[in-house]
Amino acid sequence: MNTSDQKQIERRVFTSFFQAGFIEAFTGIFLLQLGLPALFSRSGFGDLESALLALPIALILLVVVFIVRRFVVIPRLGHVKFLPERRRRLSKLVLVPVLTLIAGVVVGYIFSENTSLRYTFVGQIPFSLMPIIVFSAAAYFLDMKRLYVYGVIVGLTFPLGKYLETIIVSRNALPAIILFTAFVFLGMAIVFLVASLRKYQEPEV
Amino acid sequence: MKEPPNQRKRQTADSLSEIMNIDRLVHSPARLSILTYLFVVEEGDAVYLLNHTGLTWGNLSANVTRLQEAGYIEVVKEFKDKKPHTVLKLTDRGRHAFHEYQNTMKGLLNTKSLSSVSGGE
Repeated sequence: MNTSDQKQIERRVFTSFFQAGFIEAFTGIFLLQLGLPALFSRSGFGDLESALLALPIALILLVVVFIVRRFVVIPRLGHVKFLPERRRRLSKLVLVPVLTLIAGVVVGYIFSENTSLRYTFVGQIPFSLMPIIVFSAAAYFLDMKRLYVYGVIVGLTFPLGKYLETIIVSRNALPAIILFTAFVFLGMAIVFLVASLRKYQEPEV
Repeated sequence: MKEPPNQRKRQTADSLSEIMNIDRLVHSPARLSILTYLFVVEEGDAVYLLNHTGLTWGNLSANVTRLQEAGYIEVVKEFKDKKPHTVLKLTDRGRHAFHEYQNTMKGLLNTKSLSSVSGGE
């Protein structure tokens, strides 16, 4: 067993703690929070009303995710304290929300300067770049390659929705495609969770 | 310059005699597995080891006791949410023993020694 084998083992152990579908669940909830208000606002509700209508759904889902993680998944996976090198890398994960914030400010600035840009196909590019940057940063710090793919999928959702809006001339195409992607991620989360529960049985003490 | 055949044979015999000095406590598959999974983390609980080593509770407990007696691992028993929780950690001695074992096995299994035994070099 050489050092690279040990690194492989350590990586396998680390990633096993992220195989229960929580990343997928959070991505799905995040997309729901984008898709539902967009759908409500296009159905005649105001911006604030739409956001308030969508919020309880996300909160309920988040509570469910935390309960499942705390009481079902963690007791089956066990507790581990990783080596300092891994913990240092994990602590850099804080860069992800910072990047999100910076990207959000940049996008906000661009749209405040040019409001009509929001409704164009080109205007969706910052929305695409944001998830790609954020997911790529998470993929790097968590050492999980599948997050790069998630970034591309989430990133493509916005221009695809806008494109569909222009070709099928429906105002609901963008929220519909965002919600479809959200449900795909939530479905993936359930599949990952079931697979994890089947793999790691509750220990009999 | 090519080594004389007698000298090469003696070197091979010396390197293979190291196998007699190998740490047998580490060499057992179950204990090696436990040590490997504790080596890649700072500490882990019994459930973590059960999941990754594939051992049964009884087998894990027996092997952990042997490693603990040898001073290779440190076992802390505590209560978490009113349930017993066992945390295991590799001691410096255990880490050193595992490292030594790795180096010895690497030396024994390197291609040069093996190919010279089989006459391939």
